[in-house]
Amino acid sequence: MGLMDKLFGWMKSKKKTACILCIGLDNSGKTTIINHLKSPESSHQDVVPTVGFNVEKFMMSNLVFTVFDMSGQGRYRNLWEHYYKETNGIIFVVDSADKLRMAVAKDELDQLLKHPSVAAKRIPILFFANKMDVRDALSAVKCTKLLGLESLKEKPWHICASNATTGEGLNEGVGWLSEQLQTLRP
Amino acid sequence: MVAIYITLLQVFILSSIYIKMTSEDQDEKEKHSNWLNAHYDPVAGFYTFSTCITFADLNGDGDHKLVIADLGTGLYNMTIKVLKGTSIIQENTLLDLPTGVTSVYMDLAEPRTPGVVVASGSGLFVYKSMRPYYKYNLPLLPVLPEEAVLWDQANNENLDPLTLAEALDGLKKSHPTSSFTARTSHFLQIENDADARQFVDDHKHKPLKRETVITCVTTIKKSMAEDDAISCIVVGTEHKQVYIIDSEAFTPLQDYEIASVPVIVNVSGLFDVDFRMFAACRDGCVYVLKKDSLQSRVCIELDSSIVGMERIHKHLIFALADKTFSCYTTRGKQIWNLQLPADVLCTAVMDHRAKGFKAVLVGLDNSEVRVYREKNLVDIIKLNDRPQALCFGRYGREDSTLVAVLASGALQVMILKRTAEYADHSSHKGPPMSQKMKLNIPKKTQLFVDQTVRERENGTKMFQNFQHDLQLMRLSVAQTYLKGLQSSMTPLSDDPSMPLKLSATVRGIGPVFQMLLTIENTAAISLNDPKLATGLIVLFKYSDTIYSIKPLVLELPALAPEISYKFAVRIHCIASDRPAQDTITALIVKRGTKKPLVTANISMPVSEGVIVV
Ligand SMILES: Nc1nc2c(ncn2[C@@H]2O[C@H](COP(=O)(O)OP(=O)(O)OP(=O)(O)O)[C@@H](O)[C@H]2O)c(=O)[nH]1
Ligand SMILES: [Mg+2]
Repeated sequence: MGLMDKLFGWMKSKKKTACILCIGLDNSGKTTIINHLKSPESSHQDVVPTVGFNVEKFMMSNLVFTVFDMSGQGRYRNLWEHYYKETNGIIFVVDSADKLRMAVAKDELDQLLKHPSVAAKRIPILFFANKMDVRDALSAVKCTKLLGLESLKEKPWHICASNATTGEGLNEGVGWLSEQLQTLRP
Repeated sequence: MVAIYITLLQVFILSSIYIKMTSEDQDEKEKHSNWLNAHYDPVAGFYTFSTCITFADLNGDGDHKLVIADLGTGLYNMTIKVLKGTSIIQENTLLDLPTGVTSVYMDLAEPRTPGVVVASGSGLFVYKSMRPYYKYNLPLLPVLPEEAVLWDQANNENLDPLTLAEALDGLKKSHPTSSFTARTSHFLQIENDADARQFVDDHKHKPLKRETVITCVTTIKKSMAEDDAISCIVVGTEHKQVYIIDSEAFTPLQDYEIASVPVIVNVSGLFDVDFRMFAACRDGCVYVLKKDSLQSRVCIELDSSIVGMERIHKHLIFALADKTFSCYTTRGKQIWNLQLPADVLCTAVMDHRAKGFKAVLVGLDNSEVRVYREKNLVDIIKLNDRPQALCFGRYGREDSTLVAVLASGALQVMILKRTAEYADHSSHKGPPMSQKMKLNIPKKTQLFVDQTVRERENGTKMFQNFQHDLQLMRLSVAQTYLKGLQSSMTPLSDDPSMPLKLSATVRGIGPVFQMLLTIENTAAISLNDPKLATGLIVLFKYSDTIYSIKPLVLELPALAPEISYKFAVRIHCIASDRPAQDTITALIVKRGTKKPLVTANISMPVSEGVIVV
């Protein structure tokens, strides 16, 4: 009986699901990242700006991810907070080539962290400093500084430079995220 | 009446709460600005004005660029720069000082990319994809025939430079300076004879031209109002003209003459449909130009030079050199007028489409940018230095970006927060909101209506009746008073030789009372005459079946003026079988006279019955 339980438990944990929210300013590459994570092989198709949000489901490192790919356009950003309560982890994508809007990204991040449903939970946040391939793109360290992540102590976080069109850096980030999800909810 | 007091009190309380709230609001505002500091480059080194900055989607990819026509040092190094995000991505040299920059959609080619038009000297320099594309010169102005003849003669060596200069100088007396060519003006500035000769030689084979100088440039949509619809270019010149120029063929479509030099032109409407142009001129007047008449008409006359003119819907808003900030209708009626705390340096319109409002940004000499919605100050942005030029619009992918070029040459970019709230009334000084609250006044009843009708119909009669009754009442009052005086039935004596005042209070609950009489000689004190009231006695008139009084007669001492004397009288209610009440009359009499001086009626309180144990 003990053996069977263990076995079942192990099998169940293999099928564990995680609800992830993917947010960030418009044009930062959220949809491109999710598309790449879902099917890395498919040659990158043209993405159009997301309207509202998309829900994607895929398996990654023993976890079933349900990702809410939110639109980053100003008029849709107020949708984000409706999903904070259910989420187990957050992917925050910044366009590291858009220096001008780093301040806007920081403002949105601050509002996210201030939100009661997020402040109350110890959920992992994964940052992608996306578009690292663009000339003059800011490094992950620079992004850390500009987003003020040094002072983010109460949540586990990780930042990766990434290129969503080639998939560079994505696996490292998602690996960290699934590790966090598994340790936080054994 | 009471109700009114209560409402007044409420208003007062509400307004004090309101005042408290606004002051807290202001503290709040200091802490959380509505703006994000997106970028600050203190060594950008720009020298430009609001008219020389614009945003444009130059590549048609939704990433808007910032186009700045830089005046360089003001003499050389004039350039047109294109910025993407925080860096300059392109730079083109300009030959002359720019007076304005605007972006125009000139064709329907896909992807829709606008051209950039730089007004400089008498020409419009058009760039497409930031490459020089076309140069358009405004039509030449006629040269004075006398001037042309003189130069002709000089060129054919019939006239030596000295006589030419004299002749031109003479001509200048009979014509305004602006009617001469630039060549004449330059020539007349030369003092040296050899230089003058050289000048004539140099210009021998060049045609004599009289060019104008562009003072301002803007655009007007041709036949559709979309953001990327084809536009025409509107140009104001130093020679008091306003041209509308087709941006596809580069031909003047319409030109207007106005009474002064236009410095700002604001356009509303579509060229093909109907439009109106407001030209703010150097003489402090605003002229209206319309589609179907070439006549200009003064619509507003202002008291000072116009620093900025912005149009918000149907209102024109002016920032003047004398720190006034005012709003007019397009018909020239002033709607409001404010005083700004510092000199105005530049203005811009803040068109917040997502939230659907327009505000005016005013850059002040104290390094502030004030945001006015209508006449309400809704925000103050503190910049790092005095703003030289302001531009609000979509930059990069951010819809509400404010770009400020500072006097130090620095570039400051601010982004309006998504959560920023510009309520209409915030930090609005004026009557508190509670004053606008409707009171719950009950509906008019039929009775009220009937009464009103009756009053309206019989107004005269009612008034006469009222007056009649009032007169009667006054008469009877006067009669009673006279009677009282004649019989000294009042507690006051007006006898000039013996002015007295008598008052009485009754103490106790019965059957024994004490009556306290207060008697005062009301004569004014004077030094030579003591005015003593002497020989007075107090008598009581009462029903002796009810009361007994002790003493019956009160001998008063001599009464000195202005001292109140108090005398106690004991009254016993002897009607013990029933609760009795009656009036006792006290009289002050002078010995030897029959008439009392003063009379006081004292109504006694109900006496308690004697408790028989
Ligand atoms: N060079 C480069 N371009 C990228 C990268 N990632 C995304 N892009 C491009 O950026 C553009 C926007 O990508 P999207 O994935 O649509 O961005 P988004 O965050 O989903 O935008 P919204 O849905 O509007 O919020 C697309 O043209 C992508 O091809 C990257 O790493 N490098
Ligand atoms: Mg998307």
